[in-house]
Amino acid sequence: MREWVSSVISSETRCAFPLMVFSGADLTGTGIDEMLGDARTQAFCASALAARFPSAASITAMDLSVEAEAFGAGVRRMPNEAPTIIGSLVPDADTADSLSLPSVGAGRTGIYLEAASLTASWIGNRPVFGCHIGPFSLAGRLCGMTEALMNVQAEPETLHVIVRKATEFLIAYARAFKESGVNGIVIAEPAAGLISPAHCDEFSSRYVRMIVDAVQDGHFMVILHNCAASKRHVGSMVSTGAMGLHFGNAADMPGVLAAVPPEIPAFGNIDPAGVLKNGTEESVHRTTSDLLATTSGYPNFVLSSGCDIPPGTPLRNIDAFFRALDEYNAAAAGPRRAESVR
Amino acid sequence: MEMLKEIAEKVEAGRQNDVKALVESCIEKGVAVSDILNQGLVAGMNSIGVKFRENEVFVPEVLVAARAMKAGLEIIKPILLREKVQSKGTVVMGTVLGDLHDIGKNIVCYMLQGAGYDVVDIGIDAPADKFISAARESGARIIGLSSLLTTTMVYMKDVMDALREAGLGDEVKVMVGGAPVTQAFADDIGAHGYAPDAASAVDVVKRLLGN
Repeated sequence: MREWVSSVISSETRCAFPLMVFSGADLTGTGIDEMLGDARTQAFCASALAARFPSAASITAMDLSVEAEAFGAGVRRMPNEAPTIIGSLVPDADTADSLSLPSVGAGRTGIYLEAASLTASWIGNRPVFGCHIGPFSLAGRLCGMTEALMNVQAEPETLHVIVRKATEFLIAYARAFKESGVNGIVIAEPAAGLISPAHCDEFSSRYVRMIVDAVQDGHFMVILHNCAASKRHVGSMVSTGAMGLHFGNAADMPGVLAAVPPEIPAFGNIDPAGVLKNGTEESVHRTTSDLLATTSGYPNFVLSSGCDIPPGTPLRNIDAFFRALDEYNAAAAGPRRAESVR
Repeated sequence: MEMLKEIAEKVEAGRQNDVKALVESCIEKGVAVSDILNQGLVAGMNSIGVKFRENEVFVPEVLVAARAMKAGLEIIKPILLREKVQSKGTVVMGTVLGDLHDIGKNIVCYMLQGAGYDVVDIGIDAPADKFISAARESGARIIGLSSLLTTTMVYMKDVMDALREAGLGDEVKVMVGGAPVTQAFADDIGAHGYAPDAASAVDVVKRLLGN
């Protein structure tokens, strides 16, 4: 995957890797709950997307309830939305200490690993990424997000116990993704953008680093996604050693790119809800074109959505996203052609 | 007064035990509870709110400050009620039906309390009739609707319709917010205010109530 990263950065054309799988359900007429509950259906949806859109890579579903559910947390499933964790599995220090680690494959994690394996084998023409939650965000789902955020200050020792256990499980889960045949993983750590850079170092990045160290190599890439991160979090995200960094629409992308080392691809960050789902073809095209223009000076920029594209996003809007990319690349190729003729 | 300033500083630092002790000490010394509220608790929360808006602090700092403020508020609440000290107004806050996310809604609640408003928090997954009954019972003139999901934000329109059907369409204003919510969406459903983030929710409420 280091070669893929090099080719992305050195390419004269800009590429795009939007985080989308739910759109595969829309494309194939599948219910979200059905897609998330069955590995073959999920792989079918991802493959349909790969056939329909010229994305630089594919990804399995970003369902941030799977890992907490494996620990035993309650889940509310909805027909047309990603599931949500309900209640608090770890309400206090005693339950944190006694929290036992699930085995990889528990709950729906087995479905996601099988989906990753099938997707990797069915899509042969681009890298495929698995996806799992980050350690701090998982801790938030285990003890309650508000409590986790408060415990950053109020009860850091207890929080560390939970994050440590979350990390231990995620390392095993990430290794299983690697064995499934995918080319990498996207670690979704949205909650880490809600805390200060110093707390992000302490409660997220140092633990993400453990996962990265356990699985990343020349053939297996980790992309760290933090959809609430700002420019101030970039240093902490870089410290994880992840080969790629993915930013949400809260970030000022040119500002972020100025802080990301040029050898690390930085993905981002069209607003998935406000623009891609609720916008029009025209507004998606305009916003995408604007982002491409303002990031043109950064070869390591990869066009993407700011987070996973929600269910029900009009496919014509995703077409508009890629059309803006095509037009940008065509316009950039003109001067290059003229240069080569000279 | 030095002790009130200290309460504000301890609220800002999230030191709830210190806040409790200082508030109790102020009461013993006969300091007016309205001063404890406005120059101590609200001032501290207001200060952290400004820093949050300016990205100088993050969500945990706001949450622990809010907890400290609430600890002080619990002590003076019976006295405030007894002395009939008026709040700036009441706001009903909730995350709409089908949506279980509460961080954004909680922060808005804390910001509003910190700005001197009474907040009736009806929690998550709240149906329209819960908003309506809470508004009727509390006399709130503002309802705040929160949503994190594109699939649940559409329910905000149902709440607007239910308010009109209940005859509250003119007297109760609606403020909306949440990650997928935009000004255009707020305009589409006829909401009276849109808060792009928690800090600006206070400004929206001030505007809607004419404070």
